[in-house]
Amino acid sequence: MHIYGFGSICRGDISLGSDIDILAIVEGYDSRIDPNTFSIYSYKRIQELWREGNPFAWHLSLESRLLFSSDQLDYLKMLETPEKYKNCVRDCEKFFSLFREAHGSIIASSNSRVFDLSTMFLSIRNIATCFSLGATEQPDFSRNSALRLGVNSIPLALDSYHILERARILCTRGYGKNITDDEIDTTLRRLNEIHKWMYNLVEKAKEYERV
Amino acid sequence: MNEFNNRIAAQRQILQIVNRKRWKKEELLGLSSKAIERWVSVNQINPESRLVELIVTASGKLFFLANKSQEQISEEYKMISREIADISRTIELEIG
Repeated sequence: MHIYGFGSICRGDISLGSDIDILAIVEGYDSRIDPNTFSIYSYKRIQELWREGNPFAWHLSLESRLLFSSDQLDYLKMLETPEKYKNCVRDCEKFFSLFREAHGSIIASSNSRVFDLSTMFLSIRNIATCFSLGATEQPDFSRNSALRLGVNSIPLALDSYHILERARILCTRGYGKNITDDEIDTTLRRLNEIHKWMYNLVEKAKEYERV
Repeated sequence: MNEFNNRIAAQRQILQIVNRKRWKKEELLGLSSKAIERWVSVNQINPESRLVELIVTASGKLFFLANKSQEQISEEYKMISREIADISRTIELEIG
């Protein structure tokens, strides 16, 4: 078994809303490992992610620290660099689609709207991370990757951005002040700006892939 | 639709069923264990009730799928997806 810390705790950008990301790589089912505490992966799955050049493999490769090794070896380091990331356009389209589904849902339904806002934040963060990895020289795996893309950063008012971020933390960590109806309405008025930004990122990723 | 987006859609479906009911203080915000704990606590719901048990089971199955390898997932995914759909229907009956 190998255990790694990754994410904000390794970058040092922790805040009250940060959780501690811990990866456990195991051979098979291990009753000692709580799935609520650990991200649990098999060795086989980790190797697949490396071969795919999956963004999570790059994340681990660039931002993880070994905490425990049953064989005294640093397993991830031994895998060396993951394959080149090839699915930037496909992944950006996937997260754009996720955003559109959440957008459609929040308009159609009167309940679970905080979850839809949370899903929007997830799609914003992930599309930005994939774009940074596939189409720029500076991969960014932080929660605020969408704000760190230079000229391609999300052009959204920060108050709305932080509402979406709060929704994400509420839905995943159950932490924070709930979102009010006014805050939801303010954010709803700005969703078209996010839609346009995502559309442009996908187009830029396609252009980058063609070059 | 891909599996990642499918899992989010399945979570949304369960939340929308649970949140058809007007809860005392706050909706169920997500299917993570922390979000479920928060909902149980703020609404003073019996943590041992059938509804909580069903939601926790659905949550476990959804998050279980996230880490499986592609080879394992094809058949298992279909089976667990059916189980989640069954749990959704049972939650619907439980909510009334």
